[in-house]
This record gives sequence, structure tokens and C-alpha cells, in this order.
Amino acid sequence: MAMGSSRALLILSNFKFKTTASSSSSSKPFFPFKTNLGTRNFSTKIRSSLQPPDLPRLAETARISLAPNEVEEFAPKIRQVIDWFGQLQAVDLDNVEPALRADTEGDNLREDVPETFENTEALIASVPSYEEPYILVPKVLNKE
Amino acid sequence: MASTLFRTIQIHPFLLYPTALFSRRNGVLYCTMKSSQSQTATQEKQQPPKVKVPQHALKKTVDKITRDYEAIIGIETHVQLSTLTKAFCSCPYNYGSQPNTSICPICMGLPGALPVLNSKVIEFAVKLGLALNCKLSLNSKFDRKQYFYPDLPKGYQISQFDIPIATGGYVDLDLPLEFGGGHRKFGITRVHMEEDAGKLLHSGNGAQVDLNRAGVPLLEIVSEPDMRTGIEAAEYAAELQRVVRYLGISNGNMQEGSLRCDVNVSIRPIGQSEFGTKVEIKNLNSFSSINRAIDFEISRQALLLSEGQGDQIVQETRLWEEGAQKTITMRKKEGLSDYRYFPEPDLPEVILTQEYVDSILKSLPELPEMKRRRYENMGLSMQDVLFLANDMNVAEYFDATLSSGADLKLAANWIMGDIAAYMKNEKLSINEIKLTPKELAELIASIKGGTISGKIGKEILFELLAKGGTVKGLIEEKDLVQIVDPVEIGKIIDKVISENPKQLEQYRGGKTKLQGFFAGQVMKLSKGKANPGLLNKILLEKLNAKS
Repeated sequence: MAMGSSRALLILSNFKFKTTASSSSSSKPFFPFKTNLGTRNFSTKIRSSLQPPDLPRLAETARISLAPNEVEEFAPKIRQVIDWFGQLQAVDLDNVEPALRADTEGDNLREDVPETFENTEALIASVPSYEEPYILVPKVLNKE
Repeated sequence: MASTLFRTIQIHPFLLYPTALFSRRNGVLYCTMKSSQSQTATQEKQQPPKVKVPQHALKKTVDKITRDYEAIIGIETHVQLSTLTKAFCSCPYNYGSQPNTSICPICMGLPGALPVLNSKVIEFAVKLGLALNCKLSLNSKFDRKQYFYPDLPKGYQISQFDIPIATGGYVDLDLPLEFGGGHRKFGITRVHMEEDAGKLLHSGNGAQVDLNRAGVPLLEIVSEPDMRTGIEAAEYAAELQRVVRYLGISNGNMQEGSLRCDVNVSIRPIGQSEFGTKVEIKNLNSFSSINRAIDFEISRQALLLSEGQGDQIVQETRLWEEGAQKTITMRKKEGLSDYRYFPEPDLPEVILTQEYVDSILKSLPELPEMKRRRYENMGLSMQDVLFLANDMNVAEYFDATLSSGADLKLAANWIMGDIAAYMKNEKLSINEIKLTPKELAELIASIKGGTISGKIGKEILFELLAKGGTVKGLIEEKDLVQIVDPVEIGKIIDKVISENPKQLEQYRGGKTKLQGFFAGQVMKLSKGKANPGLLNKILLEKLNAKS
């Protein structure tokens, strides 16, 4: 069913590949595979059906700062990763019921019984800016 | 009780303007409704773009304008569940505890921590879904709603996006009589589970965060945009409060934040099918605020539209200012937020079996709507029904009194009258008064059966309310049994007549009003125990005899 493949599409386009580079522009992004994917043979059908992400907007929403040259450099690489996942589009899902989630185990539930965490001191100690009894944070203007 | 909190809109006529001016203005305003680009003399009295509505406009004018428009109102409600632990960790939650004491790596969002769902959250969600007549999704999932804010430790909120646990329900309610009454049915789009964020307090150049509340389970209820007035919206919120309290899943307290409502208001000219621009209103802390904020916002938008300034109405979030009694801009919405929802990988699917759902359905208590209909069918008036059914504790007390055998109308009258007055004076809830339902039934029966007079009944009521005890015991102790023996009453009357010859002469001479005097004396002598009806009958006989 067309529904199946479009669900896969939805999940893929929503999935943002996270780089471990935080905000510094000098560290290189980490890719779990070689970046010479350009030599692989993708079918044009896959390449055109998945939208490339708006990288500056993505970086903004993830609070990762990218210099213009980095945007230029990363965009095709991210595109390649998405296209690599795009190979899944080739699977025929016409007779497959869409799954809500990709797991097979059932629920993992907990009883409603209170338990105080013993070492809250260590938790507080790890907070960079703390003034009893509050965690201090800089002023934030807009809730996103 | 929700209805006692309501006040009608107080729009104070600003009588600086002589009435002659008003009628001219009225005429001019009427004209501007037809044209779209009119800058008339009325502009000097309002300040575009922020129209300070009811300060200048007299209520009549505002009403006239708003009558041409239809308001479309929807409400998003967050209910904080009264589970013992948080949604995804075993930290306890107690309102008002010392900040940052109920925390652990999970609710602080520390690396490596994994959420584990509290089974009670599912149970409460199913209860609410069923109580709101929803269709339950036997399979649903959690999603991550991602955004950055200091009170959100993980940088995302675990919520349910496209497959909520319940959808497509409704609430039935009755509007309070002082606002016109009437039955309403409002649709519920969805109910879903999510977690609360921590508390953020702004201070000086920065802010302070308390994570005690982070991770507390919430149920979000989204209504269909079915409400049309402030009072309908407020009553909807009040009904949700009643339902969650009846179910025992939340204390539904707006002041404490365990029931939070955000309202969406838009208006359109009557007859138009397209919706107007939607404005969100936050910071509503009571049912009356909901009522007043919506009415204010409808007026604000209607006035702008009627003056051709409809483009001043933008999609934004406004805050309700309780002090100033108006809404103000909080921030303009720059496009829709992108929360990058995706399924929460750390939590498995939520699977409900039909047996589980059925067992919860069976365990549901009698809900407010069912109670109201039952009371109505028993013959109580709408006013009685609303008073008795709206507070769960009052309803329980009333039902208990009835099951002890009390007469329906009498029980209702006692509770709504003298007992309610006592509770109000002493600032007590019905759970705190010492009179038990069983004893109230006994009191009613004693009066009805003639053991004591109604007047005596009222007197001992006070003692029963304050100190408790049994009706039978008090009657015995104070020797309150009514005198119904005509012979005995006759004797007392004879005594009073013989002791008051002068009044007797006056009575026989024509001053028939003195009957009251004699009756009073007989009552006094009998220590209030003489049956009033018999007393007067026999008294009249004796007074009019021997002429």
C-alpha cells in the first residue's frame, strides 16, 4: 500500500542525522561510514523522491552553529546519508500493515511506588551553576 | 462550586462623555461596520492598534457589534495526575516541597538514563478517555517533542503526537441557571499522555529552575472548537474539573496548577464559513478568568473587525492580565513551531487489551452527567440538580442521606439551605461538618413524623452540625418531644388565658391580632414543644368561646 512507503518517507525526512560536533566550527563531524559514497550507484528515483533538508534551519533548530563554508560542505554529505537510507524506498510494502514502532517486546511498566534517589547531592554537585535551592540559568527570551 | 465564582462582565460606562456625544458616536460606529476603510471621528477615542475596549465603549455598543459575529472557541487542558510517582521514574511528587529534592538521573535527563512508564498513568488515561466518551487506541506510542528551554532537562518532552491514547469523545453539561441555563455537548478531539516540565522562575538577569515537577505525568485534553461564549468555555473547564475529581485521577486545582487551560479564540461574521484568525490566551488561573478573558477577547476582535482593522488581529499568544482585566500581547507567532516529532525509541508501544479496558469501564464511579440526569429523573429542579451534583462530596452526602431513608425534597432543601449556609459561615466543606447523613435522615424523619416541630428541628440542627451526636439522643436529653395531645395543649392555653385577663378582654373586644401574643405565651410555657397547628386551632376555639 502506498501508505506504507509514505510512512517510511515521513520517518526518514523527520530523522535528523545528529553530528556530535556541538557548537565549535573546527571539529570535524563523525560519520560511521566512509564518505566516498558518491561513487555508489543510486537510482535516480530514490534521489528525487526525498527532499534534501534545509541545513541552516536544521542547524538552528538543533542549536548547532555552522559557518557558511560548513553549510556548503555538510549539505551534500547529509544528503548522501539520507539517500543511503532512501534505499529502503525500494522495498515493496503493498501487503505490509504499517507498524507503530519497530520493536517486538510488549510494555515495560513500573508500579506506582515512590523511591527517593539516594545520591541527590551528587546530582546537584554536577550542576554548573547552582544557588541553593535553585539551578541557575541565563535569561531565555523565547520559548521555541 | 464553579457557578458561585462567576460574575457577569463588568463593563464600566465611562461617563466622561455626555450622552449626546454617545448617540452621535453610536451612529457613526454603526456606519463604519458597512465600510471597510473608514477613519472616522471615532478613531480619536480608540487608540489603534490596541483598542482599549470596554473603557470607552458603552456596553450597549459592544454588544451590538459582537452580535454580528460568531466566536469559535477551543480549549487545551493539561491535567496533572495525582499518581504517587512521576511518569517515567520513581521520584515522588509533592506540591510545595523544597526545590530540587525530588530528582533523579531520569527526570534530570542525565546521560544514560532511560524512562520507564508508570502503569498508573495508563490506567488514569484510560479512565479519563472512557469518562469523556472517547474511542481508545488499543495501540499507541510515545513521541519526542523537541525544543530547547531551561525547564526541559532532556531538550525534548516525551508526549504522544500522531497516535494518542484516546480520540473522538464529548462532554455533556448544563450551563448554570444564572447564565441562562441550557444543555450543551462539546466535542473532545483527543486525550494523550505526556510529562510536565520543571518550574522556571525569572529573577534579575537570569532565571531559577526547580526540577521537582519535571517528569510529572500529565493528560492533555484537546477540545473541538465547539464553544461559542466565555461562559460555555468556563463551564467546560469546570466539568473537566468535576470529571477528574470524580474519577480520582487529579485534584484538578487551577490555583495549584494541576488543571491548566489555554484558550483559542477566533471570530467570524455570522454566515461566513471561513474561520477568522486564531488567538491563543494563556495565564488563566480560574474559571471566571476563562469567562472574562474570552468575552474580552471577543469584544476586542469584534471591535477591530467592525472598524476595518481586521488585519490587526494576528495569530499570536496573548496573556490575560487579571488586574487590568484585559489581554495583552505576549509574542507574535513567527510561523508554526517545528518540534521534529519522532517516535520515542526508549519506550515500547502502549498496548491495551479489550479486557483491561472493559474492567476499567466497569470500575468507573457514577460520573457527573449521569448523576445530574438521575437527580433530574428523580424530580429535582435544575437548580437543585446543579447544586447537589456539581460537588462530588455534596452528591455523596446527599446520596447517603437518601439511602438512609430520607424524603427527597426535604433532604435537598436541608442541604441546600441551612446546611449550606452553615458551611459558608464556618468556612467548612461538607466533609468537615459533624452532622452525618444518617442523622440528617433521622432529623427529617423526626420532623415529618411529628416527633419534634420544624422549629425545634432547626434549633438542634445547629448543635448537630457543630458537635455531632444523634437526633434521638438530643431529643431525649433536652426533652424536645412535641406536644400533640390536645388535652395537654388545652391545659397550657387555659393557664395562659387565665394569667392574661386584660389581653383576653382586648381580644374579645376586637383586637384579634392578640392571638399571636397568646400563641407566643403558650409556646414559651411549653418550651417550644407545642405543635403550632394544634396550638392555634385550640387557642382560637378557646379565645372565641364564652362570648
